[in-house]
Amino acid sequence: MLKFLNKTRQLLYPNVRNLSHTVTVCQSNAATESTTTTGKETLVSKPALILPQNYAEHAPVSRSTARQAWIENVDAVTERKVGLMELHPDVFAAQPRVDVIQENIEWQRKYRYVSMAHTKTRAEVRGGGRKPWPQKGMGRARHGSIRSPLFKGGGVIHGPRSPTTHFYMLPFYKRVMGLTSTLSVKLAQDDLHIIEDVEIPTKDAQFIRDLIQERNWGPSVLIVDKHDVFPENICYATDSIGYVNLMPAYGLNVYSMLKHDTLVLTVEAVKHLEERLLYQLHRNDAASKQTKFKLDQV
Amino acid sequence: MAANAKAIVNTPLLQGLKQLVRSLHTDCARLSSFRSSREVQPLEEYPEVEVLHNPPEWKYVERLLPPRTVPQPVAKPAYPSGWKPQTATGQESGYFVARTKNHMVPVYLNTRFRGQRRLTIVRLIQGDIWALERDLRQVVEQSRNGKLCATRVNELSGQIHIHGDYVDLLREHLKSKGF
Repeated sequence: MLKFLNKTRQLLYPNVRNLSHTVTVCQSNAATESTTTTGKETLVSKPALILPQNYAEHAPVSRSTARQAWIENVDAVTERKVGLMELHPDVFAAQPRVDVIQENIEWQRKYRYVSMAHTKTRAEVRGGGRKPWPQKGMGRARHGSIRSPLFKGGGVIHGPRSPTTHFYMLPFYKRVMGLTSTLSVKLAQDDLHIIEDVEIPTKDAQFIRDLIQERNWGPSVLIVDKHDVFPENICYATDSIGYVNLMPAYGLNVYSMLKHDTLVLTVEAVKHLEERLLYQLHRNDAASKQTKFKLDQV
Repeated sequence: MAANAKAIVNTPLLQGLKQLVRSLHTDCARLSSFRSSREVQPLEEYPEVEVLHNPPEWKYVERLLPPRTVPQPVAKPAYPSGWKPQTATGQESGYFVARTKNHMVPVYLNTRFRGQRRLTIVRLIQGDIWALERDLRQVVEQSRNGKLCATRVNELSGQIHIHGDYVDLLREHLKSKGF
C-alpha cells in the first residue's frame, strides 16, 4: 500500500508547489543515494517514502500552512528518517481552539460519570412517625416529627439523589473540531510523530523503553494504527509498560491524546484520519449529524 | 375448517371477483394507499428476473445519486447568481477570510431579543484579524454617514461581531476584495 502511495504522483495545490518541487528533488536524491548505498546496508536500500498531499478533492481552508512531517522507522532503536509526508492543513494545522478542546475533555469526563452521592429525605429516615410532644401547653415549638429537616438527625431537603447521570452529547462538529484542534496542537508542540508501521523486531519491552529514550518521546506514549489488530511483537512489548498504550484509529479521542505526552501515528493511521476528518468537514448531509441526539439512534 | 376457508379466500376466482367488485365502485379504491395495490401473487406468477453485477447502465444511476461531499465549483467566466470564486490569498492584506465548505462567504446575521438586537458575524478569519476589523468598520461607518459602529473581535475563534445588520454590505465588500 505504501509503495503504491509512493508511486502515485498527485496534483498539488498551487501554494505548495514549492514543497512538491523540493519533494521531487528530494526523491531523486534519495533514489540516487539508494543506488549508491545498496551494497553497504540492506535497510537503506528502500527508496524514501515521499507522500504528497492530494489537494484536488478538498482544497485547504488555510492557505499558507502546508505541514510536513518526517516518517521515522521503528525496526531499530536508532532513529532513521524513512520518508517525508505532507499533512493536510485542515486537520493538522487547524486553529488551536483550546476552548473546544476543554469542552471535549469535560464532555468525555462527564458523559460516563454517574454520581452516587445520596441523602435520605424525612420520609426515608428511620422513625419519626409520632408527634414528639403535644401541640399546645408545653411552652415548646410545635413539631410533628423528630425526622423533620429542622431536627438534628432529620431528613435532608434537596440533597443529592443517586444515581444521577451526567450524560449529554457534545454537538457533532465540536467533537470533530476537538480532534482537529488537538492533532494540530500536538503537531505544533512537536509531540506528534509518524512511524512507518508498528512492526518491531522483538517482543522485549526493553526495546520500546530504549526506543522512547532514544527518540526523546514520552514519558507516556500513545501508539495509533489504522487497524485494531496489532502485530504480536508490539503487543507483547508494550503489555507490561503502563505508560505506553496502543489504540486503533477509530478510537482516537481528545482525552487520550492529552493524557499521553507523545502521540505516535502510523502512516496508514494518518491517511485514515485525514480521510475521515476531511469527509466530516466536507460532507453534504452534515445537517443529519447536527440533529438532537436520540438514545435509540444507530 | 380455518384452512379450508383460507383456501377459498386465496383462490384466483375469488381474487378476480374482488377486483371486479372494486371496479364496480362498491368498494372504494384507496388511491395512493398501499391497500389499493395488487396483492402479492405466488412467486411463479412473476416474470423471470436476471441479477446483474456491475451493468454498464449503472453509471446512469450513479449520476442520480447525490455526491457524498460538497464538490468543487465548476470554473466559468461568469455566474448568473452573482456568486464569485475566491481569488484572494491574503498575501497583500495580511488577513484571510476562508469560504465555507459550500463555497459561500461566511457572513451571517444573528438576531436576539425578538429581533431588537441584530449582529453581523464574520467567521473563518485567519491572519491579522485586527486589520480586517479596522477595514470592515470603516466600510460600515461610511455606509452610516460617519456614525460610529460597535464591533467585537474574538481572536481565538476568528470571528468579528458588528452591531447592526450589514450582512449584504460586508458580503459584497469581501467578495469585491476577492475573499
